[in-house]
Amino acid sequence: MKNIALIIGTFALALIGNAQLDRSVRPTAGEAPKINIGDYHTFTTDNGITVIVSENHKIPKISFDLVMGSDPMIEGNKAGLANFAGEMIMSGTNNRSKDVLDNEVDYIGATLNADQNSIFLSCLTKHLDKGLTLMSDIMMNANFPESEFTRIKSQNESNLLSTKSDAGSMAQNAVAKTVFPAGHPNHEVMTEITLGNITREDLISYYKQHFTPKGSYLVIVGDINKEKAKLLVDKYFSSWTGGAPVKREHQMVAKNTGNRVIFVKKPGAVQSVIQVAFPVNMMPGDVNQIPLSVSNQILGGGGFGSRMMQNLREDKAYTYGAYSRLNINEDGSYFSAGGNFRNEVTDSAITQLLYEIERIGEGEISLEELALTKSSMAGGFARSLESPQTVAKFALNQKKYKLDDDYYQDYLKNLSNINQEDVLTMSQQYFPAKNLNIIVVGNEEVLERLRKFDADGKIEMLDAFGDIIVETKKADITKEQLIEKYMMAVTNSSSMSEVGKKLKKLKTVNETMTLTSPQIPIALTLTKVYSTPNKASFKIEGQGMVMQREVFDGQKGSKADMQSGKKDLTAEELDQKKKSIGYFPEINYKTSGMTYELVGIEMLDGKEVYVVKTNDGKDEGYDYYDKTTFMKVKSTNISTKDGEVQEISQLYGDFKNVNGFNFPQKMTLIAGPMTFSGKTDTVVVNGKVDPATFQ
Amino acid sequence: MKKILLAGIVGVSLSLSAQQKVEYVEYNLPNGIHVILHEEHSTPIVAVSILYHVGSKNEKPDRTGFAHFFEHLLFEGTTNIGRGEYSELVEKNGGTLNANTSHDRTFYYEILPSNQLELGLWLESERLLHAKVETTGIETQRAVVKEEKRQRIDNQPYATFIGETFQRMFPTHPYNWQPIGSMEHLDAAQEADYVGFYHTYYVPSNATLSIAGDIDISKTKAWIEKYFASIPKGQAINLYRDFENFTDAEFMNKYGMEKSVFDAKDFMNSKNPQAKKTIEKYAAMPTKIERPVKTNDRPTKVIKDTIYDNIQLPGLFISYRFPDQSSPDFYALEMLNEVLSGGSSSRINKQIVEKKQLANAAFSFAYGLEDAGMGIFGAIVKPDADLNAVQAALDEEIERVKRELITQEEFEKIQNQFENQFISQNSTIAGIAENLADSYVYFGSAERVNTILDNYRRITREDIQRVANKYLTQDQRIILVYLPKI
Repeated sequence: MKNIALIIGTFALALIGNAQLDRSVRPTAGEAPKINIGDYHTFTTDNGITVIVSENHKIPKISFDLVMGSDPMIEGNKAGLANFAGEMIMSGTNNRSKDVLDNEVDYIGATLNADQNSIFLSCLTKHLDKGLTLMSDIMMNANFPESEFTRIKSQNESNLLSTKSDAGSMAQNAVAKTVFPAGHPNHEVMTEITLGNITREDLISYYKQHFTPKGSYLVIVGDINKEKAKLLVDKYFSSWTGGAPVKREHQMVAKNTGNRVIFVKKPGAVQSVIQVAFPVNMMPGDVNQIPLSVSNQILGGGGFGSRMMQNLREDKAYTYGAYSRLNINEDGSYFSAGGNFRNEVTDSAITQLLYEIERIGEGEISLEELALTKSSMAGGFARSLESPQTVAKFALNQKKYKLDDDYYQDYLKNLSNINQEDVLTMSQQYFPAKNLNIIVVGNEEVLERLRKFDADGKIEMLDAFGDIIVETKKADITKEQLIEKYMMAVTNSSSMSEVGKKLKKLKTVNETMTLTSPQIPIALTLTKVYSTPNKASFKIEGQGMVMQREVFDGQKGSKADMQSGKKDLTAEELDQKKKSIGYFPEINYKTSGMTYELVGIEMLDGKEVYVVKTNDGKDEGYDYYDKTTFMKVKSTNISTKDGEVQEISQLYGDFKNVNGFNFPQKMTLIAGPMTFSGKTDTVVVNGKVDPATFQ
Repeated sequence: MKKILLAGIVGVSLSLSAQQKVEYVEYNLPNGIHVILHEEHSTPIVAVSILYHVGSKNEKPDRTGFAHFFEHLLFEGTTNIGRGEYSELVEKNGGTLNANTSHDRTFYYEILPSNQLELGLWLESERLLHAKVETTGIETQRAVVKEEKRQRIDNQPYATFIGETFQRMFPTHPYNWQPIGSMEHLDAAQEADYVGFYHTYYVPSNATLSIAGDIDISKTKAWIEKYFASIPKGQAINLYRDFENFTDAEFMNKYGMEKSVFDAKDFMNSKNPQAKKTIEKYAAMPTKIERPVKTNDRPTKVIKDTIYDNIQLPGLFISYRFPDQSSPDFYALEMLNEVLSGGSSSRINKQIVEKKQLANAAFSFAYGLEDAGMGIFGAIVKPDADLNAVQAALDEEIERVKRELITQEEFEKIQNQFENQFISQNSTIAGIAENLADSYVYFGSAERVNTILDNYRRITREDIQRVANKYLTQDQRIILVYLPKI
């Protein structure tokens, strides 16, 4: 039988060979192959790990990927802390020095690495026991040796220097800072300063808190079956203990009005790295995710066929490649599009990128383009299944984001159902044409040609780490002169002796203010009371309840809030109070022990201001005085508590004369991610004050 | 129950044997195309690839960058495929495609759903038979390649070090320049350059067609017969290309006969006796490729230069001449390199980055090419470190492997590392197609994908010490110091 088949085969071959071939006839596809998504098993351990096992015996190799269940933290002036901790997990354990650990990992030819949120092992089946011994050791017993802490810190210092010559990293930093608001973990970028603030203790406490079995996922892929996996998980992971994973809510993202241009200088650059970026309000598994990814694919997410590639590379030859990316992530989603473009065409390239983003929201795409895109995506889906890691990733997403059981089984069906209207609706809903962030890292020679893209014509300049470059000019007066000018301005006086007389008459101040925030549904009332020489209290109430209260009677005091109850002020806090004596503490700086210096003149909201930096021994502060009126327009306090940095800013405006003193009628309070607008309701000078106010 | 159990056991043993060995069939078509087929059904996709044995080392010294530029042009279209259609056909049928060019080869591939295999074969046969490039395409791709160079080299810190090293290492061999080449040379290219390059290097006898994935071997062979065996042999391919491109007068001028004697619809089966004879004559004329010979180029002394770049941290790159990649010594040098630079426990990382803390990153690699090899040692130096101290530390590691045998433990470690690499290397069908083609073209046998590990297993600790002494010649090397531009 076999021979006959062979002969027929050869015969058929010969026939085809001799036949005339019309090369203009394009081959048609055979019957579409069935796409199978491999099966997986899942189980949960007693200590709270969700285990996913995806079997694949193609090669005798296995991987264990352990992903923690905590949300990212706000790092503030310790930005980069989690990253640093991740870098150090492999630096040694209670059982193995780093040298021993490295040797043992390399000896079995394994890959074992860790980052801030996961540990990954991959090794040949025959070395699995050894591999898991090492993995579980770093998972439970990493000991962050001091010497390694110092070494990796210094290494990070050098890396930060290198960032300044790497346009790609600079662009990434600028995108992070621009797309996500302050107070969002994705906004945070390590700098030389934040690195300096990170201590070894911070890393240990991060590791203890975040590396915990509860809520974690263990994804096992490769040459293993469920029974064997269960035995191994029991052997190596069951003695692991820890607290609950840390859940944090992060503020969603603010949208800008009008296009913003953000520029980062890279001296000597021959190309500009351009990223047009904006936040996307979407969680993984959102019902709109698949149709929106079709829009992105058409725009620039695909291969050579996408609009950006065709327009900017194949038609105009501005670039080696133009792409768009839709990053849908539980910790914050965003879109970015761009590439590398020679200096001369930087502005032309932006014009075309913006054109494409606008165009896709303006009209339905052609049926042909839709069909091409969908097939291309379906093909990509099928190709991705070649890697056994894909099936495991699907299973992980299903668990993590609570997707339907059929989410991936139905992916191709759902993809094929998308029509032209869906794509248009998605593009209009999610692509904020005209409200885009245009981020450019490049040579200064291109800068002026970018101004036309910015809605208000003011290009924001960032440094390599995405921080705003504040240009500080040297002050034209001394700090003592500034304080005098301020005191005269705030007291409506023309001389310091007049100031002195007025202050002598000031006995009490009683202020109330209404605070509102789009982030909370109720209005708050802020009451501040002052009495000479140095008594002060403030409280915040909402819906008849006191939410926060702090009092100081000149010697001692206390504070209370709804979470932690009432506590006496510590000696350190009392000392701070004593350095801010009086309703206008500035007048007492010389004698109160406050350290202060005049930093210089900067721009604040388009106006020149004097900047004074203060330090009361615990907190740092920055006060901003208008260069023309000398009124204090902004005050920022930076404090560190339990390793987390708190930055609170108050902006003052709309000053009104009450009994000879100028009080702001408007105040904006920015505390981390929260913003409040304040409106002064009453100001009473020298009214009666109940002494109990300060107890 | 018993039956099921049995099936399970058979399944396991089958998969075990499958993972040990990459099965394939290979044969030559009469026109000289070498075909390698690997059948594997785990995913319904197929990788179609063609390796042309032409790279930057085949370029003329005044046309550097041409092989890579040509790779870009070969996506422009063919007689039957319009401009921009080539990639569109692949993508709209659920596939992906790309290509790359090295010093030694140009490699094109498509990864397609397996029911589109015939499409892939037609596309690649069109590219080989009669690619078509027009002025618009040439001008566009020239600018695109310039952007590629800016993106990959000019705007990347330290990225020029490879080119700077090759230039000094190979004063006479065409490894002197990099595949990206010179932009002035690309600007200077003329029509005759394109035609000449295509007619010389894009011919069946210079092509290896390697296919891997969810295929049926006999069906695949039939399609290969249809699309590739029909491509004219020898110089007949260029006769056919001239027939397609020349005007009547041009054709008459070159061949002394009318174009009309040939059958335009079925050129190879032209009935006219004169046409038949001419085709036979040209088919019998071989296509000749003059390849550069393996070179003796090497530094005869220490060459030390300083290069100023847009960087913050100084860099140090030290290079030695190695033998070519198929030399038995090259395997020993790769193992030596693994001791020095493979993994966190490697000597260079331990000593220079972790213990002495002289560098932010330090590494070495064994660069194997067809005609020559190179060993490159590098360090991105810490801001406060002394460059001389970094060089001394690297030299100390080099002297140590020359002086002492590596330890038995290190020896076992690198063997385990090579075993892991060997098992991991064939995990994708695209990777298998490429490995098979490379093995055949560079090492004379596709079977090397299954036996490569033996080359390393033969190496002893003494071999490693011997090659260290032979090739890490401190008085004949290139030292490049990278300093920040001021």
